[in-house]
Formats: sequence, structure tokens, C-alpha cells
Amino acid sequence: MIEVTNLVKRYRDLVAVDGISFKVEKGEVLGFLGPNGAGKTTTMRILTGASPATSGKALVAGFDVFEQPLEVKRRVGYLPEQPPLYDDLDTRSYLQFVARIKGLRGEKQKNEIERVIAACNLESVRRRRLGELSKGFRQRVGLAQALLGDPEVLILDEPTIGLDPNQIVEVRTLIQKLAEKHTVILSTHYLPEVIQLCKRVVIVHRGRIAANDTLENLTAGGRSLEQTFYDLTQQ
Amino acid sequence: MRNVFAIVRKELLQYFTTSVAYWVFAVFSLVTSFFFIRILTFFQRSIMLNSQMRPQMLQYMNFTDQVLAPLFYNAAVILIFVAPFLTMRLIAEERRARTFDLLLTNPVTPFQIALGKYLASLVVLLVMVLLTLVYPLLVSAYAEVGAVAWSTVFTGLLGIFLLGASFTAIGMFVSSLTQSQVVAAFLTFLVLLLLWVVGWAGADNAGLAREILTGLSAIEHIRGFAKGVIDLKDLAYYASLIGLGLFFTHRSIETLRWR
Repeated sequence: MIEVTNLVKRYRDLVAVDGISFKVEKGEVLGFLGPNGAGKTTTMRILTGASPATSGKALVAGFDVFEQPLEVKRRVGYLPEQPPLYDDLDTRSYLQFVARIKGLRGEKQKNEIERVIAACNLESVRRRRLGELSKGFRQRVGLAQALLGDPEVLILDEPTIGLDPNQIVEVRTLIQKLAEKHTVILSTHYLPEVIQLCKRVVIVHRGRIAANDTLENLTAGGRSLEQTFYDLTQQ
Repeated sequence: MRNVFAIVRKELLQYFTTSVAYWVFAVFSLVTSFFFIRILTFFQRSIMLNSQMRPQMLQYMNFTDQVLAPLFYNAAVILIFVAPFLTMRLIAEERRARTFDLLLTNPVTPFQIALGKYLASLVVLLVMVLLTLVYPLLVSAYAEVGAVAWSTVFTGLLGIFLLGASFTAIGMFVSSLTQSQVVAAFLTFLVLLLLWVVGWAGADNAGLAREILTGLSAIEHIRGFAKGVIDLKDLAYYASLIGLGLFFTHRSIETLRWR
């Protein structure tokens, strides 16, 4: 579903991503880990078409991100690190706008908006200005936006950050449900989340792949994921 | 095209929920009404003076040319101060709030983004320009029939609209260069100011230099419209500013992805 080959991203004198390659199969939830500044967000921004790579190739849902960006964008839902909300709009008009630029019209648009409002528990803030919402709600509106149109691929950059423990459980359950039909790349710093949701994990460190393996292998021999993560990202 | 309209709707919603549009309307009306009253009082006084001293001059006095034309000219100058506030938010704010990524990761093209934002600012501009209609309407309600030459009024409004459309095109481009709305507004204001004062420099010169400098001045091109004359060279001037503004905004959005 997603195939990344030798991806490189350079900013002037800084190499943010230094030849990353990995694959994600259809219906898989990939845990995308790494310390801050390892190149996770940059990689995800490239996959969603927000920013072009310096070199390398990325295929999403069979389309090349650089050759056919619009086809890729139609099939990817993206929740960036900071949810992209217009503070002056209310939840409903915001979701309406996103649904429109995703090409959803008429009945379908209405149904989709109702579906994501229900899925992300936003009923109570439907008419509230986004600027007034608490961090947890903002995060969930951001997630709702990514789910609109039921895209095949979901790229979620720290989706549970800023949520309270109850909300974290809700969002995890939601992602687990999504995992049945969707391909998900999940970046997070909460390792228990990875253990609960992901079968395979990619760990990046300083722009390179430090590990690309199943969760089982990474935690083999009674090692904790924390220990593995620490060992791989210390040098 | 549907994507463009989606963006237009969203931008208009923001113009009105943030009340930017209302403030712009209010300030523009306040200042134009001030000029209208001043020019009208001056016109009345010259009628009185002429009727006592030189009655033969009265036949040359005409409301449209002596009140509305200068009013339109003044409205054009006011636009220099108002237009930057209309456009400063357009792209700078999206970059600061990181919502620009939302546009970049959805199936819309940079050109659709630029066009949608631009059309939304034109809608607000159009309403603002139409507010100026209140002055000729007021006068025609009280004056004898034929006092207001409506064809001149409409070419004048067209001129102001085209001038404003050029200013917003420039403002949108400047807004794409920075993440700060204040910087965007200030830089836009500087550029527009330059497009005005270059005409003064023209007046100080003679020959070819004068031709070129006044030709560059955005405000000079409104004179024809204010008198009821639609000149191809004025249309071409505004069309090129609008075209350049849109083109550079499009390029600028393209390069934003690379940063």
C-alpha cells in the first residue's frame, strides 16, 4: 500500500531524512517511532504531499507521490502534529470545508460529517468556535478531519498527544477499529500504544532506519520495547 | 472549479466571522463620507459664489464632474490604506497557524488556492465599492432629474473596483511572503504607496520620464474612469497588475512547499 524507497530530504545544510526505505502492507498499522528530530514528521509530510523530497521514491496506494500528487491526496487522510484548525470557524463549518476540498458533495458530504462527528465524539462542540476548544477536542477535530471521506491510508502524527487518559483509550479503540479496513502509519511516543495497536514497527534515528521489524522480534527474549528503543537510538 | 468555490466560501466565512470585513466597510464608508461632505460643501459654495459674481459660469458647473469625479479619486487613495488590511491575513495567517498544510495535503492545486482566496477578497471589495453608490443615490433623491450622470458613476465605480482588484492581487502576493500579518500589511502598504507617489515624481519631470512615471502610477489610471472614459490603456494596466499578482502568488505557493 505504501512503498518508500531511498527517501532523502535536505534542507540547505541539514539532512532531515537520509535514505529511508520501508513498506506498509494493506490493512497494516505501522508504528513509526523515533526520538524527536529523527525525521518522522518530515517523512510523513513527504508521503502526504505537503513537502517534496530531495530524492527517492514514494508510492502510496499505487500512485507516485511526486508524479500524481492529487491521486495520492485523494486517498490519504493526514493528521499533522499540530491539528490544522481554523480558529474562527466552528466545528461543523470546518468539517464542511474539508469535506468540500476532499470532493465530497451533497448527501455523501452530510453523512460523512455526521459519521466523523460521531466517531470522534464531537457532538457537544458541533457549533463551537474551534479557537475556544480544549486541546483534547482540537486533537479530535483534527482526527475527524483526517477521517473524512474514509481514505484508504491514514497518516497520524501523534494522534493521542494532549488527550486525557479516557480520551486516549477512546482514540486507540477508534484506531483499532480503523485498522481493519485501513492502512495506518502511526507516529507516537507512547510505547504502550504501539504494543496495543501495531504489529510492525519502524524506528528512525537521525534520518535513517534503525529498525524495521515485527513487534515480536523487537521485544524478543523478554526485552521491553522501551529497552530496544533506547538501545537503537542512543548512538 | 468546485474546489475554488469551497475556498471562496471558507475565506468569506472567515472575513465575516473575524469581522475584518465589517471593519473595512466601516472605515471605508466613514472616510469616503467625510470627503463627500467636504467636496459637496465646496461645490455648493462655488455655485453661490458664481451665481453672484459670474452667472455665466454656472452652465459649466456640473455635479458629476465636480463632486463625484473627485470623490472617486479620493476613494482610490483611501483604498491604498484599506486594501492591505483586506489581504494581510490571506496566506500569512494560514502559514502561521499551520493550516496551510491542510490545503497542501488535500486534492487542491496551488492555483485553485490562489484563485479562491483572490475571488473571496474581490467579493468583499465589491461590496465595499458598491457602498459608495450611496452618495450619488442620496443626491439624485434630492436633486432635479439628470443631475447625476449614472453612466459616469458606473465607470467610476468600475475604475475603483479595478484599482482595488489590483491592490488585493498585490496584497495577496505579499501575504504569501511572510508568516506575519503585520509585516504583510505594512509591506503591501509600502508597495501601494509607491504606486501612488510615483505619479508625483512623474509630475515633476517632463517628456518621456513623465510619461513613464505617470503611466506607472496606479492612481493616475483612475482619472479616465472617474470622468466616465474607459480607456484601453487603463484597462490593460489594471489587468496586468492583477495577472502579475495572481501569477506570483501561484509561484510563491509552489515554493512554500519546498521550505
